Amino acid sequence: MKRLFGLVVLTVALLAHPAHAYIGPGAGFAFAGSFLALIAAFLLAIGTILLWPLTFVWRTIRVGNPFKNAAARRIIVLGLDGMDPGLATKFMQEGKLPNFRKLAEQGVFRTLDTSNPSMSPVAWSTFATGVDASGHGIFDFLTRDPCTYAPLLSSTDIGQATRVVNIGKYIIPLGSPKITLLQRGQAFWKVLGEKHIFSIIQRVPITFPPVKFRGLLLSGMCVPDLRGSQGTFAFFSTQTDAGVPAFTGGEQTVLRRQGNRIRSRIVGPDNGMVRGNPRMILPLTLTIADDKQSVKMEIDGVAEPITLRFETYSPWVTLTFPAAPTVKVSGIARFYLTSIDPEVSLYMTPIHIDPENPAMPISHPSVYAVYLAKKFGSFATLGLAEDTWALNERVIDEKAFYQAAMDICEEREQMFFDAVSRVKTGLVTTVFDTTDRIQHMFYRYLDPTHPANEGKPTGGEYANAIERAYIHMDGVLGKLMTQVGDDENTVVMVISDHGFTNFRRGVNLNSWLRENGYLTLLPGSDTSGDWFEKVDWSKTQAFSLGLTGLFINRKGREQSGIVTEGDEYKRLTHEIARKLEALVDPQTGGRAIRRVEIAPEYFDGPARFDAPDLLVGYEGGYRNSWDCATGSVTRAIFSDNTKSWSGDHCVDPAIVPGVFFCNRAIVTPQPRLIDIPYSILALFGHKPPDYMQGKMIFVGKAGSATTRGLLDPASLPQSGAAPGALVSSTPAWSVDHVTG
Amino acid sequence: MNALISLLNMVFDVILAPFGHRFASFDLIVWPVLAGVIALLVYKKVSNQKGIAAAKNGIQVHLLEIVLYRDNLAGVLVATANAMKQNALYLGNNIGPMLVMMPPMTAVLVEIVANYAYSPLPVDATPLLEVKMAEGASVKSMDVTLDLPAGLSVDAGPVATPDGMVAWRLKAETAGDYVVTVHAGTEAQQKGLAFGGEPRKIPVLRTNTWESILYPGEDALPSDSAFETIRTHYSDRDLPYFPDGEGGILLWFFGFSLAAGFALKGPLGVEL
Repeated sequence: MKRLFGLVVLTVALLAHPAHAYIGPGAGFAFAGSFLALIAAFLLAIGTILLWPLTFVWRTIRVGNPFKNAAARRIIVLGLDGMDPGLATKFMQEGKLPNFRKLAEQGVFRTLDTSNPSMSPVAWSTFATGVDASGHGIFDFLTRDPCTYAPLLSSTDIGQATRVVNIGKYIIPLGSPKITLLQRGQAFWKVLGEKHIFSIIQRVPITFPPVKFRGLLLSGMCVPDLRGSQGTFAFFSTQTDAGVPAFTGGEQTVLRRQGNRIRSRIVGPDNGMVRGNPRMILPLTLTIADDKQSVKMEIDGVAEPITLRFETYSPWVTLTFPAAPTVKVSGIARFYLTSIDPEVSLYMTPIHIDPENPAMPISHPSVYAVYLAKKFGSFATLGLAEDTWALNERVIDEKAFYQAAMDICEEREQMFFDAVSRVKTGLVTTVFDTTDRIQHMFYRYLDPTHPANEGKPTGGEYANAIERAYIHMDGVLGKLMTQVGDDENTVVMVISDHGFTNFRRGVNLNSWLRENGYLTLLPGSDTSGDWFEKVDWSKTQAFSLGLTGLFINRKGREQSGIVTEGDEYKRLTHEIARKLEALVDPQTGGRAIRRVEIAPEYFDGPARFDAPDLLVGYEGGYRNSWDCATGSVTRAIFSDNTKSWSGDHCVDPAIVPGVFFCNRAIVTPQPRLIDIPYSILALFGHKPPDYMQGKMIFVGKAGSATTRGLLDPASLPQSGAAPGALVSSTPAWSVDHVTG
Repeated sequence: MNALISLLNMVFDVILAPFGHRFASFDLIVWPVLAGVIALLVYKKVSNQKGIAAAKNGIQVHLLEIVLYRDNLAGVLVATANAMKQNALYLGNNIGPMLVMMPPMTAVLVEIVANYAYSPLPVDATPLLEVKMAEGASVKSMDVTLDLPAGLSVDAGPVATPDGMVAWRLKAETAGDYVVTVHAGTEAQQKGLAFGGEPRKIPVLRTNTWESILYPGEDALPSDSAFETIRTHYSDRDLPYFPDGEGGILLWFFGFSLAAGFALKGPLGVEL
């Protein structure tokens, strides 16, 4: 102690001497940095404190008290993508979701009518804007380029920098590439911001790139990976017996082993700063431990080697790709050893945009993602963060998928509860994708006769993965309700964008169109590859792309359109719709399609001209086949769905409503997703804009609610737990109904 | 103390100024850079790198909180307090490594100061030789005498003050290094003086306190010496680009070691 005291005294004495006040870069940085941090904190705090009265006065002059007419001062929307009312009811009846039950008993639980089409980008866009698909212009994940028939991401357009300077082999951009959100209309949280009501919006789909507003936003579904795709995993393996399989959604690299050492490389994004846009790469070295229990992984630019253990995820690893001198692009990925001995196989997730150093804007303001990453550590940023294709391609198994999904869920929980603790007045909306992804990939376990079960495990630890995911989310809700307590000014809603049903059989609409003479292949072609490779557009009247849409090859809209507007168009759309509604699956003898909507008659919004001309509403158990979704033409119209992606919701929206739980009762027996943004604005006491198509489902400041309590299971249009069962003509494979 | 000073002088007299004292810039760049790199490696070894990273991260998180939640006044104040708390943690994490690095870095710095901070006295100058008697010394200041070598004479003095100070104004006939002897009773201590000639290591001060480590130009006085200090004042040497003297050396050292540290902290994987 005496010695330490002496040293401290000596330190102080030396610091007092001008020539010897500095003792190296560590201390130099520490004291200089510390001083700067203090100055920054003081300036920010003082600036904020000084400006606060001014902003308060400005706000009062502009909007007065934003909560003057409010029936709620804080609204928390917990979005559980794909949560199914049938399954929720089943698990509640079994006593597995006590917090959902409590919330429903306190307020209400009803089904929530979804959008048409009933898929996340469409439904969450409706939630954000308060208008249907013809209002916000998002009809699917994909649309087609009318000039080329090539697929386009329907939500985002990522352009190139318009001005560049060429220096040798380098191309230096003089600005950022233009990234445009193609969703039309404005999000209701922007309207709230104009009224000076603060919002935190986390991972709501179709919010990339983020739009400025008064609040914080972390983008969700459709955020690309670092390579610009919607998720490209990598699989490294020494196994070469089966050659190099072509994966959907990923790439394989064959590893060559030299003793216990393997050298390979991680392929990154295209380098737009070098002529020819070569791929950026990072050398990777794997060293197998002598006991064959682990592998040491060394990656260029990563300071410490990473020890990988069998079937255990690495933490997020920051990958820094050198693009040009002094320019680096940063991404994050996780690694998972699927085998060590005798073959080494390593799965790498898609390279997510690094939230701490984002290569593209993934939050508003841009430092919000940085803040979250610094506070909680790196987190998944890719729109479709759970790697469904890796499981579909059986590169990983159910255990690996489930683990990754729950890890991502945990990351989301941290940021959600941080937002809840921050917002005392205003809006918090967080979307959890866990329920959706787990149901997509584990639905086959609910159906013992599902075609996807062949060659895959049907029991074991993950047989009840869906139930576990629901129970986990019940725990999240419980924690939220504890935090909220009995605060009467806080409205808690749990909503889902759609429910779920079985996906046993795929329908290739393009093959059907061809068989019925509406689509013609080039001479000598019997089938067509992806993206209409061999389609003769000069003789094609209709084609299908995406998950529910069917386009008419319209003259004046499509590049080689042949169907004229007016009578021909009308006759053709009605004819196709009628025939499709009569389409019978020869395997079951049942109808495959429940309803076909003709867009110009169904929609009246400003974006209806961009819509697919026909929206195909399948029966439960059916969906566009994987081939059809990518614009290929096969010989067969029907095919078994053998992929792990065995549950879906791209069917008739009437059979896959979402859920609506709330701690307040409502005035309508049948709430709709489109009513939610309208009602949130109204709950805060502000008149929703006239273009919004919803209605107020709460009582406001006065009046009494008529709809309360638990959902009557008899009112369920179909059960998610009963694969394919939704109507009285129950298909043969139905195994379990939820009943009262 | 003398053993330590001798050891340091033995090392640094060999390795400093390989191209002579005229090329001050060489040593004033090479040594801070080298010291910076070594210090960086030592810092990496002896510091709590995770703790430092966590504290820095904490500071950034709370600064971002102030920016993101600026409408929440109470939140801003809490975030400010938290940022300061993290700042204190950050500084706390740096005290250990600072203590470890202090002796070697101080040694390098004082040797550079001794070699480059001062100019020899001009030959026509009449500098003061100041002697301060130790507290409780049995010899009175007015009884202190001075022996001069050939070529050096007293221009004025001695002047003794009641508080134990004695001073002589000296004059040199030619440039050179002179050694004077100061007597107090039976004790005799020597003091060097550098007049004119090429730049070189300058003997500024002899003392019997801990400060002697900062003046390696000469040995320390014995701890039981009747003298506390024997000092001559030298002018600052002109340094290129930076202020002169000790302050200038400090800036050279600070600038280049910091630049080296900043440039190499990434490649060396050091969290500062």
